Amino acid sequence: MFSIPHRRDFLRTAGGGIGAMALQSLLTRESSAEEGLGSSQGTHHPPRAKRMIWLFMHGGPSQVDLFDPKPDLLRFAGKPLPDSFGEVMTRRKVARNPLLAPIKPFRPRGQSGLEVSDFLPHIAEHADDLCVIRSLHGDSVNHPQSVYQMNTGSILMGHPSVGSWLAYGLGSDNQDMPAFVVLPDPGGGLKGGPAAWGSGYLPATYQGTTMRAGKAPVLNLQPQDGISDAQQRSTLDFLRKMNERHWMARDRDDELSARIDAYELAFRMQAAAPEVVDLTDETAETISLYGIDDPVTRDFGERCLLARRMVERGVRFVQVYSGNTNGWDAHSNVAKNHGEYCAKTDKPVAALLKDLKRSGLLEDTLVVWCGEFGRMPMSEQGKGRDHNPWGYCGWIAGAGIRGGRAHGETDAIGLRAANDRVHVNEFHATLLHLMGLDHRKLTFLHNGLDERLTGPSEVDVVQELIS
Amino acid sequence: MIVSLSSLRPLVLLTMLGSCLVGIVDAQEAYEEIPIDKVDRGHWAYQPITEPRVPSVKDVRWPQSNIDRFILNKIEQTELTPAARADRLTLIRRAYFDLIGLPPTPEQLNTFVADERPDAFRRVVDQLLASPQYGRRWGQYWLDLARFAETDGFEHDKVRPTAWRYRDWVIDALSADMPYDEFVTMQLAGDIVRPDDADAQVATSFCLSGPDMPDINSMEERKHVLMNEVTSTVGSVLLSLQVGCAQCHDHKFDPISQADFYRLRAFFEGSVKLSRNQSITTLAHGADRDAEAKFYVRGDYRRPADVLSPAFPRIANTAGRMLGAEHAGEERSQLASWITDGDNPLTARSIVNRVWQFHFGTGLVATPSDFGIVGEEPTHPELLDFLAARLMSGDWSLKRLHREILLSATYQTQSRPDASVAEDEQESRSSWSRRLRFDPENRLLSRFPRRRLDAESIRDAMFAASETLNHEAGGRGVMPPLPQEMVQTLLKGQWKASEVTADHYRRSIYIFARRNLRYPLFATFDRPAANCSCAVRHPSTTPIQSLLLLNSKITLDASHRLAARVIEEVDEDQQRAVATFSRVLSRYPTREEIDDTVSFLEDQRRILATEGHKDVHRAAITNLARALFNSNAFLYVD
Repeated sequence: MFSIPHRRDFLRTAGGGIGAMALQSLLTRESSAEEGLGSSQGTHHPPRAKRMIWLFMHGGPSQVDLFDPKPDLLRFAGKPLPDSFGEVMTRRKVARNPLLAPIKPFRPRGQSGLEVSDFLPHIAEHADDLCVIRSLHGDSVNHPQSVYQMNTGSILMGHPSVGSWLAYGLGSDNQDMPAFVVLPDPGGGLKGGPAAWGSGYLPATYQGTTMRAGKAPVLNLQPQDGISDAQQRSTLDFLRKMNERHWMARDRDDELSARIDAYELAFRMQAAAPEVVDLTDETAETISLYGIDDPVTRDFGERCLLARRMVERGVRFVQVYSGNTNGWDAHSNVAKNHGEYCAKTDKPVAALLKDLKRSGLLEDTLVVWCGEFGRMPMSEQGKGRDHNPWGYCGWIAGAGIRGGRAHGETDAIGLRAANDRVHVNEFHATLLHLMGLDHRKLTFLHNGLDERLTGPSEVDVVQELIS
Repeated sequence: MIVSLSSLRPLVLLTMLGSCLVGIVDAQEAYEEIPIDKVDRGHWAYQPITEPRVPSVKDVRWPQSNIDRFILNKIEQTELTPAARADRLTLIRRAYFDLIGLPPTPEQLNTFVADERPDAFRRVVDQLLASPQYGRRWGQYWLDLARFAETDGFEHDKVRPTAWRYRDWVIDALSADMPYDEFVTMQLAGDIVRPDDADAQVATSFCLSGPDMPDINSMEERKHVLMNEVTSTVGSVLLSLQVGCAQCHDHKFDPISQADFYRLRAFFEGSVKLSRNQSITTLAHGADRDAEAKFYVRGDYRRPADVLSPAFPRIANTAGRMLGAEHAGEERSQLASWITDGDNPLTARSIVNRVWQFHFGTGLVATPSDFGIVGEEPTHPELLDFLAARLMSGDWSLKRLHREILLSATYQTQSRPDASVAEDEQESRSSWSRRLRFDPENRLLSRFPRRRLDAESIRDAMFAASETLNHEAGGRGVMPPLPQEMVQTLLKGQWKASEVTADHYRRSIYIFARRNLRYPLFATFDRPAANCSCAVRHPSTTPIQSLLLLNSKITLDASHRLAARVIEEVDEDQQRAVATFSRVLSRYPTREEIDDTVSFLEDQRRILATEGHKDVHRAAITNLARALFNSNAFLYVD
């Protein structure tokens, strides 16, 4: 007579013993996504990357202490910023403070000789895979504005984030999982809040879904206490009957059937999400590679591994945050702060690169590492550094990016981006390009404007980064 | 023509061929204001509003009001016919959710169904419009437009401790049917027109309800961003013009110049005085006597150019009103008076279109905050003007407009094919499918557009159905508890669950509106983030919504409480089915549904007994209610 698609799946996966069966349906779904069913709009050109993992170092990691060696900064340490650098806008009026030497030595790494600081010995082993951008720059010395800009292209609140644009443009490869997942730092307190992964004026469907390790990776994933599988199954049967009748009497309206489907998806997610975050099927070698067996690296290691598991299962974009409300914000003591955060993240990040590489995923997975800005070459409170949006580092790897090199340069002391400058909007245009999207064409009509990630000004893809 | 202003301070307006040419010369670049031409002026939105003739229609029996004649006239130009009138239960549920955002109680249902007087529906509409719940429903629409929240946003997202007073002001004003011209005037210039009335100053929070960063480094930047945001919001909400597009350069499509933008901003310039680390909520006349309204090259606060005087946006200033020196000190009230003047072609159209949109889901102009070139043309331009003219001649009463709309035949049509009563079923089915085929988006309104409940109504209806809704009005926003997993990731003090449990059951409009942390049910069901004015919510359908409705504490709590009421009331399964259905769905179950429900309850009791549950009767009904709260019959309004 009539049938609502996947009705049998719905019954099958609704109750007990769902794990295995849901996984089955998950795999079936994935294979159909391969045939192009998963995309809502599709790419503008063949993509270099099918998925992206963005490691976001919240607070602002110091470029001159990690990826941008500045011998002159060592030479002039203790002296004030030469007048030739002109006026510098800073958050905490540090422009006249003495310069602070790089905290740890830099060394050439790998075959390429790309220099990386001793702060990051593990990531340094992958130097040949990294394309470090030394000339990123943004527009605000404040955290929230810069967090917004790095995520949404605008320093103002309310614009869709990169992940939302990707979900909007590309849809999900796995109907059982959200297209855009955020793994926040369990310490919480991102400056600027969840607006950083909000969908802005795009429909709510495209907002980032926050997931976490453990039993409840998604809010409301499991029934409340006292509601057993058997109760739930019978309740859902009844609900389905009600909804089918309602739907039949209303011309089999698409929106109504989409909601009926959403209940199935919810159910598959109920099975799929715990499976994604369940690390018991990972080998001891992998667990140790990510540093999950070490209290220092456990948390970030777990989340890096989750990121790999998610992209494996078709999640389009995973953003992993490092840093609670202060995070990498090393105002008073770079050695102490970065010592702590590098120790937490260095091994896991290196493990992620290694793991993606050996499984072949790195070929079409783009890995991004950066913060909302970098830090000043001048000191603050003696051993710390203030925010620096005028010139800082990030790196990209995977997706066929030529590694072992640095793109762009800051000035002699790492204060401002000087050569081959890459503005955040240009950076975004390039990321979209790698994902097969043209930032000029990926638009959404809002209040009379065709809005886009890269904002109203004309910007171009940075060709040197992708060549 | 380029005029150097260095020799012409303050700004000189050159009136030339009926339009103003303003030249502004910066060190690097020259700015020349483009005159407005005939083509610009010809756009529909700038034509004067005159009450159009009511068209004649072939089917003279169908219309119940003039609205219907405009609607039917269009329908009759196709081969469609309007759908039949919806049944009483459908109508009453529609009207309740529409006007007060709550379902009718079983008693209200029964009374209405039993009321055989011909004007029974009119009586319901009048009752609802008079209900204090009306403002708590319609206030939210305005708060969406006003991008209202009770915190600053950005990093510290500091609480604006008195922001709630604006929310209450909006609710009270709408409930009291404050004439719309006065409603606008208070929000733009309450402090000027009623200097001795504290409430009037509160109303100006409309202008400053957006995000702000009080601890930003540069106070010049803060003020610039804020003032531009105020200007953009005033333009888009009150005039349905996207003037904000003109802050960096002339509007690309509409005849709104960058100078127009900064002249509009100039009305507000002296009324905002910012202090570092201090939030700001209301305008205050003369707060900043040193403020100079300027033109900013490329919208960059570091590039102020010449001084400007306030002036009305040229394209909408059809009456050519000027702001003279005699108006010094009352610029904003002059702006309000210009906006609410009968000659203003935009204001009345803008608000009647919004009201129409909130009733039907889509406005007569589908882009309610953009009447410009890129916006949509009105589907029924004459009806739009008819309603706009009637609004103005009817003392700008919004309640009168609601009433006129609800009492139209257009509003009362079915949203689905007639299942049983059609004399010729075949004929009825085929005319229904014609409607779907020829007008899939239902722009002709030959049938009522089905709509999903919005976030606030979902929550309020769940608590109303379980008789737990706390009807206390006004005051500081309340914070119902959040899921534990979420609390762990919050900043200290970001969300402190209200201590009084009864507060957790207040109406949704009273839930604390934190800009950086939307209440999860609201965020999941498409409530906007209050970072910019929101004219239309885009309803989404996601598995996250299903998970929330199925598994959240809120649903279980409401279901559990509802079950207690039902058990108290009746003790037999069929009656329990009727009691639960009528509370949740505002209708009675069909025979088939009763049978299904009875066997569901039996099934549940059996399961619950095996699980060793103590109160299997209540738990079974709890699950029944939970199923119904998840059903499309609950989530959608026919």
